[in-house]
Amino acid sequence: MSELYTASGSKVHAHKADIFCRDETRVDWHSKALWALREKRDRAAGSLPEWEQLRLLGSQLKLHTLSHLAQYLEQFEQQCLSNGIKVHWANDAQQHNEIVHGILAKHKVKKLVKSKSMLTEECHMNPYLERHGIEVVDTDLGERIIQLANMPPSHIVVPAIHMKKEEVGELFHQQLGTKAGESDPLYLTRAARAHLREKFLTADAAMTGVNMAIADQGAIVVCTNEGNADMGANLPKLQLHSMGIDKVVPNMDSVGVLLRTLARNATGQPITTYSSFYRGPQEGGEMHVIIVDNGRTEMMKDKILAESLKCIRCGGCLNTCPVYRRSGGYSYNYTIPGPIGIAVGAKHDDTNSIPWACTLCGSCTYVCPTMVPLDKIIAHHRRLKADAKRLPYGKGGYMPLVGRFMASETLMNTSMSAARLALRVLPGSLLKPFSGAWGKYRELPVAPESSFASWYNKNRSR
Amino acid sequence: MSNKHTILSALKQSALDQHAMPTIDVVANNDDLVGQFNASLNTVAGTLHSEGGLAALQQAVDELIQQNMQVISLLDGIKGNRQVPETAHDLADIDYAVIPGDLGVAENGAIWVNQPSHRVTPFICENLILALAKDNIVANMHQAVKQVSLQPGELGLFIAGPSKTADIEQALVVGAHGACSLNVYLY
Repeated sequence: MSELYTASGSKVHAHKADIFCRDETRVDWHSKALWALREKRDRAAGSLPEWEQLRLLGSQLKLHTLSHLAQYLEQFEQQCLSNGIKVHWANDAQQHNEIVHGILAKHKVKKLVKSKSMLTEECHMNPYLERHGIEVVDTDLGERIIQLANMPPSHIVVPAIHMKKEEVGELFHQQLGTKAGESDPLYLTRAARAHLREKFLTADAAMTGVNMAIADQGAIVVCTNEGNADMGANLPKLQLHSMGIDKVVPNMDSVGVLLRTLARNATGQPITTYSSFYRGPQEGGEMHVIIVDNGRTEMMKDKILAESLKCIRCGGCLNTCPVYRRSGGYSYNYTIPGPIGIAVGAKHDDTNSIPWACTLCGSCTYVCPTMVPLDKIIAHHRRLKADAKRLPYGKGGYMPLVGRFMASETLMNTSMSAARLALRVLPGSLLKPFSGAWGKYRELPVAPESSFASWYNKNRSR
Repeated sequence: MSNKHTILSALKQSALDQHAMPTIDVVANNDDLVGQFNASLNTVAGTLHSEGGLAALQQAVDELIQQNMQVISLLDGIKGNRQVPETAHDLADIDYAVIPGDLGVAENGAIWVNQPSHRVTPFICENLILALAKDNIVANMHQAVKQVSLQPGELGLFIAGPSKTADIEQALVVGAHGACSLNVYLY
């Protein structure tokens, strides 16, 4: 199985998925939990006659912003400054972490309460700050669960979706002292509430992600259901917010459109419980915004990849993806899993395998609230890997042959009739090994009597 | 070159074509806004009190105080039993906070709240009560964002129901970190 590993020891998607698939009951449970989210999303979307219009508007306004990004980022910075918000720029993850640490060190921060931010995950900020002696407390319940379990998120909206309540109960029993064997979600949530309230009240600083940054207001919008971002940002006098350059939108009207689709597409709620607009620090407080590139301007140089920056991180594409649902968030070699994770993470995947963790069914593109053409982007990543001669595990060897084979009508026709004959006369046990991984969980097909071409010539060709 | 200039100059190599800002022209459903708002508020686990107005609210507050609850009111004309403290952290034992809502949104049950004194008040209180004028309900978010007030330096927010989570096996639990219940009084 050595071809499944890279020099650095990462495993290809199929191998990691295989590990997840060993427990079939759990896979079914995982798939159903996510499909339930997709169904809620469908009901919420279906309740708005203007849903498709909103998707189109979302796409258009994000494309407009991205095509005028420098202008909007400058406007955003100017407006922030005039509202008393300090603005920092970071080219990459390292600079981001240094800037954050610099601010925290200046204020002698010992304890930081943090709400969900995929960007800080992308930058691996928590371990960086911990190395510098700062306690980082993730406060979103799902994030806190996986932080206590010492795991990364397996989903961008529901980060502990892979864990069963009994496992959370055991974890809380070990770490928070809840009753042994207790796994009731209400009981566990209340225990986490009490545990984290103490953290909020004693924190020196708070950090959140940014759902939208409004250029003409110099304000940031943070959306949560739990209220953890706001409990954090409004108790200590120091608040930090990290955002990718792609988070900026022109104005309040744009926010109006995206807030209508974000939560509906994520969990089927009409809106998150809290959508908070910070247009400056609290009285006597300090507010910092860190604007991060970390590879985004590089993506903008490719017209197809650039469209992945329209994403508003609702997670809808993960919930609908047949591969994600049955391979789990840890099978992708990137912080963000699922279709959007492939779109923005394929270039970081040293196994070069995640663009193939996709059937190209297009369901993700169909549900996306800003019409990110995810299947097109994923297919494009395959092309980029091929062009760079970085096809994964053997594909580089046989794909050119397959190409030549598919391009030749004679070769194709001859071998297909041989295959039909073989399927009819030879025993399955003899043929099965030739089907490779495909045949592992499938029966061989029943051979049709003739090829489609000859059937068509006989029946329809007139 | 500063980080900012590196980023802005890298953007000059963007491959994206220029796209115009779309016109946002979405038809609003203006039928029975209070009814729509009520239905949406139920969906997000909030409770509407549409009869009795502010008098009913004061009566409810009085009853809470009789039950030894700690009630703070930021709404003119409604009297609680706690004053706004010096520091935000002293709000940690507040059972009920009464806060004025500026605008309600029929399509999702959200209510705009603007710059409460001690910003943490609507989140840290155990239970939240918002008061909203009947005439201040709009159909959808497109209308709402045009009408809300957000001055430089301020915090403004939409609140839709009590805080909630479904992070443990997708089971909905009301009362995560913010308020555990939301009651809305229409006047």
